[in-house]
Amino acid sequence: MNGVHDMGGMHGFGPVVAEAHEPVFHAEWERRAFALTLAAGFLGEWNIDMSRFAREQMPPAAYLASSYYEHWLWGLEHLLVERGLLTRGEVEARVTALAAREAR
Amino acid sequence: MRVLRAADVGRVILKGGSARVHEPRAAKFRPGDRVVARNVHPVGHTRLPRYVRGRRGTVDRDHGVFVFPDTHALGQGKTPQHVYSVRFTARELWGPAASPRDAIYVDLWDDYLDPDPGP
Amino acid sequence: MSGGHEHDHDDRHTAPLSDTQLRVKALESLLTEKGLVDARALDELIDLYETKVGPRNGARVVARAWADPAYKKRLLENASAAIAEFGFTGRQGEDMVVLENTPRVRNMVVCTLCSCYPWPVLGLPPVWYKSPPYRSRAVLDPRGVLKEFGVDVGDDVEVRVWDSTAEVRYLVLPERPPGTEGMNEDELAELVTRDAMIGVGQARAPERRVP
Repeated sequence: MNGVHDMGGMHGFGPVVAEAHEPVFHAEWERRAFALTLAAGFLGEWNIDMSRFAREQMPPAAYLASSYYEHWLWGLEHLLVERGLLTRGEVEARVTALAAREAR
Repeated sequence: MRVLRAADVGRVILKGGSARVHEPRAAKFRPGDRVVARNVHPVGHTRLPRYVRGRRGTVDRDHGVFVFPDTHALGQGKTPQHVYSVRFTARELWGPAASPRDAIYVDLWDDYLDPDPGP
Repeated sequence: MSGGHEHDHDDRHTAPLSDTQLRVKALESLLTEKGLVDARALDELIDLYETKVGPRNGARVVARAWADPAYKKRLLENASAAIAEFGFTGRQGEDMVVLENTPRVRNMVVCTLCSCYPWPVLGLPPVWYKSPPYRSRAVLDPRGVLKEFGVDVGDDVEVRVWDSTAEVRYLVLPERPPGTEGMNEDELAELVTRDAMIGVGQARAPERRVP
């Protein structure tokens, strides 16, 4: 698809900014998102080409405004729901419950 | 569905999952052939970047037979075919202001390419 | 605060979890409850890529190629098999090609479409490699990008940019720095940087040794 992920030759993104001594993961949630994606892929419900396609379907403005593992998270949720392994309702309910627990 | 267990992680990762297909397939092209990347705009998944579509290049090497992502991503089968590293000059892709010397190599499948009919 | 913060050692306990953090926790807890993922397998995956697989692997491959001409020949002819001699195999590195830098040719690797990168020899890619500036400009203005990395390329040098659009993964074999004659493989490996193996840097010059 002609998505914004197809970036070769685009202008306007500015200089390459490299972080000195960059850690492999910048936050605990990134570690978990990474590992979840690989482990869920191992289930065999989708292949790597499907997982790339899933990320490509992220709304373009959101894709450009978010970080790499946020793309993975979006793609993972999309695949899990598309394959019926989870429902959106379940995910939202769990997010709400966890948020409430945090607020206590 | 199989579930990944801790004890299997090392072995599974070291084994990986090559997309190479060990079945003979006729190659449409050979190293040295001049090709044109197709001007196609699939709405599904593709690994044919827009910046090479319609552009002329030269086959640098044949990587062998691999799964074709465009069909594989849509659950339409592996459609195994040859993948080539295709060399495009910088000027072919970006115009006369680009470097006269540099080149961009893009890995492209048989189904992305047509023979270059010539000047 | 309630319990269950086993993995949140780097979160400040006074700050609420972001939506992203909540979403990740939600997916993990749901998938674990459904028996679809095993939390200890997740921990193993994280540990593997955070502490075990990284550019030191690729540095050893490069060092051997510099020290052993027969190995270099094998590496250039069949990179997957030569790299497998070290056991650096598997996911996102099953089909390797090594690109040799020479005084006339500089190679640079990118994945304009996403972030494809040779994990077994370099580990997970740095943020800049996966971000729009590099992905958009590496193919368009490689010399400008190299300049940002402190590398000046002469007009008589050809820059080749390799876009990893398929499942072949590329590793650059940087030029061996001068003044490294007689160094053993371990010493040579110390000079090989990740950026040199992506193609945006040079291998380090050896430090002056006190005679």
